[in-house]
Amino acid sequence: MNATEKGAAEPGRPEAIKAVPVRHPGRWAGAIVVAVLAAMLIHALIENPAFEWHVVGQTLFNSQILHGVRVTLELTVLSMLMGVVGGVLLAVMRLSPNPLLSTVAWIYIWVFRGTPVLVQLVFWNFLGAIWVKLSIGIPFGPEFWSGTTNTLIPVFTAALLGLGLNEAAYMAEIVRGGIQSVDEGQTEAAHALGMSQTTALRRIVLPQAMRVIIPPTGNETISMLKTTSLVQVISLQELFTAGHDIYSRTFQTIPVLIAVSIWYLFMTSVLTVGQYYVERYYARGANRVLPPTPLQRLRRLIAGKPTPGTKSDVVPGLEGGGHV
Amino acid sequence: MTEQSDAPAGDAMVRAEGVHKSYGLVEVLKGIDLQVRPREVFCLVGPSGSGKSTFLRCINHLEKINAGRLWVDGELVGYRQKGEKLYELRDREVAVKRRDIGMVFQRFNLFPHMTAVENVMEAPVQVKKRSKGEARDQAMALLERVGMADKARNYPSQLSGGQQQRVAIARALAMQPKLMLFDEPTSALDPELVGEVLDVMRGLAEEGMTMIVVTHEMGFAREVGDALVFMDDGVVVESGSPREVLANPRHERTKAFLSKVL
Repeated sequence: MNATEKGAAEPGRPEAIKAVPVRHPGRWAGAIVVAVLAAMLIHALIENPAFEWHVVGQTLFNSQILHGVRVTLELTVLSMLMGVVGGVLLAVMRLSPNPLLSTVAWIYIWVFRGTPVLVQLVFWNFLGAIWVKLSIGIPFGPEFWSGTTNTLIPVFTAALLGLGLNEAAYMAEIVRGGIQSVDEGQTEAAHALGMSQTTALRRIVLPQAMRVIIPPTGNETISMLKTTSLVQVISLQELFTAGHDIYSRTFQTIPVLIAVSIWYLFMTSVLTVGQYYVERYYARGANRVLPPTPLQRLRRLIAGKPTPGTKSDVVPGLEGGGHV
Repeated sequence: MTEQSDAPAGDAMVRAEGVHKSYGLVEVLKGIDLQVRPREVFCLVGPSGSGKSTFLRCINHLEKINAGRLWVDGELVGYRQKGEKLYELRDREVAVKRRDIGMVFQRFNLFPHMTAVENVMEAPVQVKKRSKGEARDQAMALLERVGMADKARNYPSQLSGGQQQRVAIARALAMQPKLMLFDEPTSALDPELVGEVLDVMRGLAEEGMTMIVVTHEMGFAREVGDALVFMDDGVVVESGSPREVLANPRHERTKAFLSKVL
């Protein structure tokens, strides 16, 4: 028999099933259709001179574009930082038994989530038109320190305030959802051990909430990367504004926008990979076996070993990563 | 101490006088009076919904009582008394009192993002501000005691229910409590895992730990318990030595309940 030739290599073990797998002719037909459509699309992209691919290549590493990339990254990182810190603070305030704190947080979220971010950006930029001078002092009394609004809030700061404060409102709801997803027994166990409210939140609840918080936060970060293009309305020289400046000079709108889009795509791809690793870190303890990293998967593919988690992936090998 | 001015004689570890607790209109505890002596294993039994778990949670102030008085080691739970007036304790003061009371839950409630040894170290490091090295040594000794030293670096999700519960007991012991509360510690376990948890509890009892145990394990109550209270519908129906009550229940309700569980 055919099966006995190879299947019964090890004595005492049952023979592995050898069967003809289900065929999928529909998939093959579909793949051919998709391949033809893709070829048509590529042809249309390359043949049409309107795309001016050589201009795309030149624009990609134009110094103005590169500067724009840097500003976009700075803006994304800093406003997300503001968003996450502010969001955690607002979420804790909203869940606080203190009615003053929870009301203030509610009003903040109501205002900043309820108005367009574009309006908020313009508002922060034109703050100088409303209050020419900013000062610190006692209301209706003496002032200790003052300065001109426009020097205190340059365009970059205005952009940061607009994006960061708006993001904090969204992050607050994400963090609140994460905190509420943690089993109440966890807080009880922490309290029963004599932990204070703050310690329980910091050591027990938030680390577990992270698992729920991270995926939407990754989403928000990617969304933020692109939302930074809105600061064009206050003429901050980030990636999109840089592109806009170039094509309003050269009228090569399409190739410049393609170059800009390639940059956005590249940066969001990098962020996606980063998100994967952060999620993997916070999954420890929740999954018995951690999924392999893309690198591990690649190595296994080359070595020709099966992908699913083998013994080497079992979590104790991680040593709990110094999280003590 | 002023707060003990009209407290009863201080020889009881826990003393309850007319303890009431209600959730909205539902009265869960309808006046509980009892006394737990130091070094005693005190068993609370009764049908589900009788209020025994609620009462246990009142002892470390996870639940606030609505009426009556509750003392642990001579100090009022949740309040400070000055003259005739009661002052509610701040969260921080409540937390300090909870350090001396260990609690073990039906659903274990181990921290899933920490390994077994990290679970045990957490409170000594965060609450008592012990150094990590010292806390780790103590945690390993405690895990050894509950027979879990070889699983110290496993996460809770990699442990069986019985193993998780033994780690949870070690975690509670790490704060060196003078009183341990067990809230149906074996109810969520597969039958063959109940024994290993009861063995650990038996060991604790032999070392003289004061324990209040809400349980359906009548065998454990009879063998290890020093006192037993049967609760039903928010009141204490019957109390006495476990052997006596379990063998010769005097009340109809006790008889009816025991005929179902024994």
